[in-house]
Amino acid sequence: MSLSHSSSAQLTPPSGYWLLRSKHMSLLLDRQAIRRNILLSVALLLIGILSLGVGTLSLSPKEVVLALIGQGDSMTQFVVNELRLNRLLAGIYTGAAFSIAGCLMQTVARNRLATPGIIGIDNAAMAFAVASVVGVGIGLAPSAMALTGAASATALAFIIGGGSGTRGYRFIVAGLAIGSVSAAVSQLLLSQVHIDTANEAYPWTVGSLSARPEEQIPWMGWITLVGMVVSIFLCQRFQLMAFSDSVMTALGRTPNRLRFSAVAISVVLTGFAVALAGPVGLVALVGPEMARTFAKHRGLPLVSSALCGAIVMVLADFAGRTLLSPIEIPVGVVTAVVGGPYLLWILIRKPKRSTL
Amino acid sequence: MSLTRNILFSTTSAMLVMSNVALADVTLDTKYGKVTVKDDVKNVVTLHEGALDVMSAINFKVAGSVATRGSDTVSRYLAERQPNIDIVGTARETNLEAVINERPDVILASPSLSQEQYNMLSKIAPTIVPIGSDYSTPFNWKAEARLFGKAVSREADVEKAITAVEERAASIKQKVEQTIPADQRTAYVARWMPQGPMAMSKNLFAGTLLAATGFTAEDGGLIKAGRPHSSILSLENISAIDHDWLFLATLNEDGKAALDAAKDSPAFSRLNVVQKDHVATVDGQVWSSTSGPLAAHVVLDDIERLVDNQ
Amino acid sequence: MHFATSFWQRAPSQRPLVVCFCLVSVLTIGCALLSLLIGAGAVDITESWSTLWGQGNEEAHFVIMELRLPRTLVGLVVGIALGISGALMQAVARNPLAEPGLLGVSAGASFAVAAALILGASAATLAMGVAQLGALAGCFFVMIAARLQGQFKDPVRLVLAGAALTSLLTALTSILLMYDQRAADEIRFWVTGSVAGRHLSNLVTVLPYFAIAAAITLYVSKPLASMALGEKVALGLGHNPRTIRYLVMLAVALFAGSATAIAGPIMFVGLVVPFAARALVGPDIRRTMIMCLPIGPLMIIGADILTRMIAQPAEMPLGVLTAMVGAPVLMLIVRAKRLPTLA
Repeated sequence: MSLSHSSSAQLTPPSGYWLLRSKHMSLLLDRQAIRRNILLSVALLLIGILSLGVGTLSLSPKEVVLALIGQGDSMTQFVVNELRLNRLLAGIYTGAAFSIAGCLMQTVARNRLATPGIIGIDNAAMAFAVASVVGVGIGLAPSAMALTGAASATALAFIIGGGSGTRGYRFIVAGLAIGSVSAAVSQLLLSQVHIDTANEAYPWTVGSLSARPEEQIPWMGWITLVGMVVSIFLCQRFQLMAFSDSVMTALGRTPNRLRFSAVAISVVLTGFAVALAGPVGLVALVGPEMARTFAKHRGLPLVSSALCGAIVMVLADFAGRTLLSPIEIPVGVVTAVVGGPYLLWILIRKPKRSTL
Repeated sequence: MSLTRNILFSTTSAMLVMSNVALADVTLDTKYGKVTVKDDVKNVVTLHEGALDVMSAINFKVAGSVATRGSDTVSRYLAERQPNIDIVGTARETNLEAVINERPDVILASPSLSQEQYNMLSKIAPTIVPIGSDYSTPFNWKAEARLFGKAVSREADVEKAITAVEERAASIKQKVEQTIPADQRTAYVARWMPQGPMAMSKNLFAGTLLAATGFTAEDGGLIKAGRPHSSILSLENISAIDHDWLFLATLNEDGKAALDAAKDSPAFSRLNVVQKDHVATVDGQVWSSTSGPLAAHVVLDDIERLVDNQ
Repeated sequence: MHFATSFWQRAPSQRPLVVCFCLVSVLTIGCALLSLLIGAGAVDITESWSTLWGQGNEEAHFVIMELRLPRTLVGLVVGIALGISGALMQAVARNPLAEPGLLGVSAGASFAVAAALILGASAATLAMGVAQLGALAGCFFVMIAARLQGQFKDPVRLVLAGAALTSLLTALTSILLMYDQRAADEIRFWVTGSVAGRHLSNLVTVLPYFAIAAAITLYVSKPLASMALGEKVALGLGHNPRTIRYLVMLAVALFAGSATAIAGPIMFVGLVVPFAARALVGPDIRRTMIMCLPIGPLMIIGADILTRMIAQPAEMPLGVLTAMVGAPVLMLIVRAKRLPTLA
């Protein structure tokens, strides 16, 4: 399928848009959005390069470049290619996944606080991962258990909530309840074991990018990509969720089906991201919010959200690695410290009349 | 270009293999299989307080370790012996780059190290993970110490340190046998929480030392399989820890305050062991969560003090 | 028989309060009695029963009077405090999901305790004031959020705000615990919540706060009922809604904060108890609060009895149990066809 500029344009695109047309379809591209996303990608690239180069171990730019092309000291190669590059990739993938997931769920609930982490999916994943680490007779690895936890919490919330409900509220509250119970159970589990074992479970209770299983990282990349493509494909329809159900129905969409698909994508992305990085829920709140600010609250900025989420995640991990070096602060803790004040602001500010 | 790179690669790897052959003469059985360490280890990183204890006991200067107290120190009883130690993270999160920065020849880790962490660490240096204990049999801290000793090729020194502990335990045992009648040597180790006491497994480190000094370490069968301590006991069942001797492990520096807090509870203060004043407050960190020859001496100090006071 | 059917057929708000109150009180007293009779220890029901009538040995007497009686009394007070604080908060936020524990009191208290442990305190010797202070801070914060967001009449927003605050405080707590092994070790046993091992002196420490909170509650109950009819009605009757709201916040903070200080983080009680009360006697705030008096202790003492029976010879943490009981009720509320907004 070749896309080309239409020469015999009876249709002039609205201002600020490019129109791409082929025989079968046409595509309106928001110029501003494209410009914005290119800028964000460049920013992500720069931050990525920075985080490859800087760390507890100081390396010169030349050493980093040499290591990237597979030359130089074997230890430097290990640090750059295995430690930092893997962390960077894991950060980008999970950050983007968390952020898209958050953006979708916020849209469904029309509430910027409604992110998968806050409604308890993270907690359930944490409880399962902790159960695996403290060894409650389960042979699965923590990351597999985290995924199982996220999946079963979601399924349970759906069953109990009886579908996504109006604005997904039932689902959200059911998720909150499951999340609280999961948190209580994790606490109970942690109080049963030796402190060494509890320490081993710690990254799963806060979220960390250190020493993640390498083989999972490319997987995460593919899942994030698929999730992003699918949600961009459905983006136009998701945008309708800002209106009331009757408007959606009048435009020929089934509101419940739309909500279900948005929640489903959101949950799948969160589940896999939690399985890799642990519960770093606040990224899902901050990423989309940044994107909306840049987009001046027009439309549903999915791509920008993904990019912003990735930037937040990578920056937070970078800060956690370098600020108190040699002590390393897990990425989840950094996002909490940075995202926290922002969260407080959302909580106590006078609510404006806006959809999100 | 690529040809030269390949040649470079193969020569370096060949050199690596050769150097391994030349020096790799210590092989150890660890939790994650056999690990080979060269025999002139200089830089050691410990990610486990028990390992740091062993190294300190044989006066081996450790390059780096994880912080367990505050942001920049190891446990106090070890800090004096390792004055220039670098911190490579916390017990909850290891900073891999800081570990690399120490250029370790060997990494000594705790039995609870996860497979993922191990995979990363073993790429940095041979990583020694002891097999650990499931608390169903007395914890074999001597085997763990010997393993760490072997990893740095100082088995003889570790053996000496162990023998010193054994001899001291034997001499305390003599005292115990002289001063305490044979039917009054049952000892419990417990931690006090606001809800009640937790009995510590008799198979923990401190329990094995109590046994070595002639006491009968007990946990009353209160502990589920694979657990280091019981759940917090109901105060109604607190008599389960009421025997001849009670070692009250407190994590706080101020043991007396903890004992007073426990005595606030009428259920505790009416225990026979409390009435007889057979309660000793001990450092919970050493008694319940570490191991090694130096920790053993701290535990033995506590036991000896108790016996001498009789 | 005829009376019974007609009683249950009536709309909850039409049921005679005295009858409901007496019925539930009988249950609560029965439960409290059971709490004296049943334990995780060797003193079984029959022995306890005869001890209550003055027989039985010294051991049984000790177990009942010194162990089971104090925790039953603590359960009674904590139950009342948590139940009333839930009812008050739900009335002022006009939101059936507003529960102090769920909204940040528990997390605030945990954070304060973690901070105290880092600074060198120990779980066994911890001053109650620490947890209380943290709980108060968490509570006030949520109340501010509730006040600002209350205008939206959107119950889930507030719960989300609470969940968000909780996750923030939890993260801050994990930062504190990252460094210090000792604190990390100790806090594990505080956060699960329990009324075991509490003695009457603990209760005496917080009694003044409960007294103040109770006085405020008595004072605001009438204006609060008028506020349910609309702020203008309240103004017309000479009550300043703003003052009333502040007073209610203070009462909630004192109640929930002190209860958390004694018993640790216990969630969902403030949700379940008013819910049950409303189901019995309808949404009037005064009727609801009166019914919370017996229902709150019923839930806490009942759950506490269960904790003793489940994991003998140890005890299961109370907070875990109430979460397991409370979570389904939360879902029950939301499963109702329409989210009930309070009056």
